[in-house]
Amino acid sequence: MILKLKELLLQICQEYSELKFVFHLRNWHTDFLRFYQSQTNYNISKSSLSLRTTIYKGKRSYGFSLNDPTEEKLREKITEIEGFIDSLPEDPDFVDIEANTAKSAEKQKKDNRLEVNLEKKIAILQHLAHTVEPHNFKIYGTFICNYRNLYIVNSNGLDKHEINSPIYLEVKAVKQDTEVTVLETFGGEDFSHFNLERFTGNLLAKVIAGSNEITDLDAGEYKVILAPRCIGEFFSYLMGSASARTLDNKTSFFEDKIDQKVFPETISLTDDPDHPEMIQFEYTGSGFPYQKLKIIEKGVFRNYMVDNYYAHKLNMKETGSEASALVMDTGDKSLTEMINSIDKGIYISSLHYMNFINHKETSLTGLTRDGTFLIENGKITRVINNLRFTEKISHIIENIIAVEDKAVTVPFSHNYGHFGIESCRMPHVIVDNFKITSSTGTI
Amino acid sequence: MKKLVYDILNKTKTLGVTFADVRYTSTDDETIFFEKGSLKHYGRNLDAEAIGVRVLIDGCWGFAGTDIMKTVEIDKTIKKAIENARQGAKFRTRKVDYIPQKSVQTSYFFQPEEDPFLMDNQTKLNYLQNISQNMTTVPKIVYSYIYNIYYRQYKIYANTEGTFVDTLVYDVLPSMYVLANNGKESMCRTYPGHMNGRRGGFEVVRAIEMEKNTAIIMEEAIKLLDAPRIEEEKADIIIGGGHLALQLHESVGHATEADRIFGKEISYAGKTFIKPNMLGNFKYGSPIVNIYSDSTDTRGMGFHPVDDEGTPGKRADLIKNGILLDQQTSREIAPLLGLQPSSNMLASYADDIPLVRMTNFCLAPGKGSLADLIADTENGYLIDHTKTWSIDDNRNNFQFTTEIGWKIKNGAITGIVKEPTYFGITPQFWNACDRICGEEEWEMQGTFHCGKGEPGQTMHLSHGVAPARFRDIVVNIKA
Repeated sequence: MILKLKELLLQICQEYSELKFVFHLRNWHTDFLRFYQSQTNYNISKSSLSLRTTIYKGKRSYGFSLNDPTEEKLREKITEIEGFIDSLPEDPDFVDIEANTAKSAEKQKKDNRLEVNLEKKIAILQHLAHTVEPHNFKIYGTFICNYRNLYIVNSNGLDKHEINSPIYLEVKAVKQDTEVTVLETFGGEDFSHFNLERFTGNLLAKVIAGSNEITDLDAGEYKVILAPRCIGEFFSYLMGSASARTLDNKTSFFEDKIDQKVFPETISLTDDPDHPEMIQFEYTGSGFPYQKLKIIEKGVFRNYMVDNYYAHKLNMKETGSEASALVMDTGDKSLTEMINSIDKGIYISSLHYMNFINHKETSLTGLTRDGTFLIENGKITRVINNLRFTEKISHIIENIIAVEDKAVTVPFSHNYGHFGIESCRMPHVIVDNFKITSSTGTI
Repeated sequence: MKKLVYDILNKTKTLGVTFADVRYTSTDDETIFFEKGSLKHYGRNLDAEAIGVRVLIDGCWGFAGTDIMKTVEIDKTIKKAIENARQGAKFRTRKVDYIPQKSVQTSYFFQPEEDPFLMDNQTKLNYLQNISQNMTTVPKIVYSYIYNIYYRQYKIYANTEGTFVDTLVYDVLPSMYVLANNGKESMCRTYPGHMNGRRGGFEVVRAIEMEKNTAIIMEEAIKLLDAPRIEEEKADIIIGGGHLALQLHESVGHATEADRIFGKEISYAGKTFIKPNMLGNFKYGSPIVNIYSDSTDTRGMGFHPVDDEGTPGKRADLIKNGILLDQQTSREIAPLLGLQPSSNMLASYADDIPLVRMTNFCLAPGKGSLADLIADTENGYLIDHTKTWSIDDNRNNFQFTTEIGWKIKNGAITGIVKEPTYFGITPQFWNACDRICGEEEWEMQGTFHCGKGEPGQTMHLSHGVAPARFRDIVVNIKA
């Protein structure tokens, strides 16, 4: 049925000489297992078929979405819009819709809802629950498999198709008497990369560390080890500043900094949509082929991410990048060496509720979550209550003094709408003078 | 559509189903977005239908939802919900205990004064375009936008206990933003602010008088560029309604969602510092603090005759004279705490599961006007219009920044400060509340964007608040 609909969209693009169309036809399914207290919370399945359409007439445009689209509904909408589109104000900055018709090599992907079915999910969770139980921990979290077919069709001849089937496993082990929480995740599109023994081992090591005594920490500046998830999240927040949109809006930290050294030489960051252990993307939202892009190279800011609209508006080259697959280059220290090098510091596993105070200055506040640990004399010794930091991301990255010699894939979910899942690949880093502004007093 | 809902409900009555409910929603929304005087986006999503089927089998929930309204797809959805419950029960150590409710049959249809879906497009566009173009006339204002979202949703809720309810509501979200820049830094102002959602139609847009406020926010944004920051370590602060609504939302609203006590939302939304043994004795705030959840108040976006699990709308006094008494609960969770269900189980769309959600979550008014409160303050700040918000996993440690603050000295405003930032611990903060303004200052604020749950949902809800004063608050945090 979806192929017939796609053919209809191509036909409509041909039929109207005065109108231009951009269509996003999406068929999306999720099997979503929520668990808590080492048992099922909810088993959820959702399916959706939707068509997002934007119609252009010169510099005027109008958009609409249809759930469960049919030819009749679509043609009725187009006729209605033809009746009033001339009365809409123009967007003087609009030039043209996406014109790049190049296709990526279409990747065949398994439907991971079938590969990792409910029975398999439950068997894995039962194993993890039994592993942490002797330590008085229970597991909480989500085990998700999505499957999405996306067709992008437009009047400039685009006819593109992308399949995406991300897997997202997030396990939080919570100590039942203290509520100390630790986190282990897996994400990707190829479940053969999931190693249950390694996953269990990592979770168990964190559970054992989380069984230590709990202490509080005063506000102040500390040497911290950021887990891959944390540095990935800081980079992800910073990437807003690398978009042409924020450059245009005068809120980009990178304004006037192209080809300038902004961070230490150890910092290189690439958007890499083809990495085999990550969730892969073939096209950007407009249908431009998603391309590998160096954003920061040895501390030098190299490229803004430029989409079709801002490429025209700002006279820049479209880059085909959306920071959905960030990869940081590794360094030369093992995690053990990094921990051993710190006399007094903090290991931060995960971040929570970050929000910018000032985008251009990259100042923000946020908290630690899911396992914050005290490092004393080169060893992790105690659990720390969650901490609040108030920092500038630029300051954090400037103060990276060591980078781990290996990286891991970290999945992130957008959570809302069609539960978009992306990933990044990051090593641990040591940051000097990280500003803790208060303790939460709680785990 | 009512017949379809009944038919689905009948199909769920298979062996082993102890409870089932079916929801249908048809949602319309329209967005108009002008940026720097030009229309950048205008669009409508009409008749976005969805169906959700929830079943309880062998003490375990199963749910499936779809927006594909074909019979074959709906049948698959029913089957999937049942399969999900049966499979899930294999990884379930304690069965869900679901207390029965009396059945309810009712309807509620809200009628806006000026229906944004029926009115002429040009009227809406011209109204917003004029304001947007006024925001491009001042050189130091380097960026600006104005947008409106209009929303209506028709919903049917039916369950195997015999409850059948249908409702129609209209909500609106008007907003505008300006950014001033002096070559060194940027400062922003918004209007009407962060909590800008309201029940109603286009009459709400007219009533907030965006056109009159354009010049004010542009002038304030420019003045903020050269304004000082707060230097004192601690100060008394009066929080205006626009921001106090968010303070209430984050540090009391989410904290009193009882699903968090049992870890149901640890994975994403988080926990709460509240423990079951605090009910009835914990001093959450000073004696003047009275906070309630009221889904019977038709002025707010949280109004409903029945929630999304069949509990009739009700008012629950959560904090009375500063003491924590009750929680926002569900039929599953309330008995675990010895409470009655509070009618707070809601889903954004039919193909979402219901969660414990705020409805109309309000701080009861005190006495006196804002002018009286300022006059009564020797040294301090009036702050309003949220810029940044952040609160910890347990809803205990928060830090907020507002767009603007006004310095108060000897009972009078003497100037403005930029990016006032304050920090607090929830119970200490609410115990530092020594005055709340009266009915004349009490207003329903609201949001379309309260995020919770996995898969994630955003909820429309309201907060009734009046400005209030908090003593000796930490205000000197800087990045």
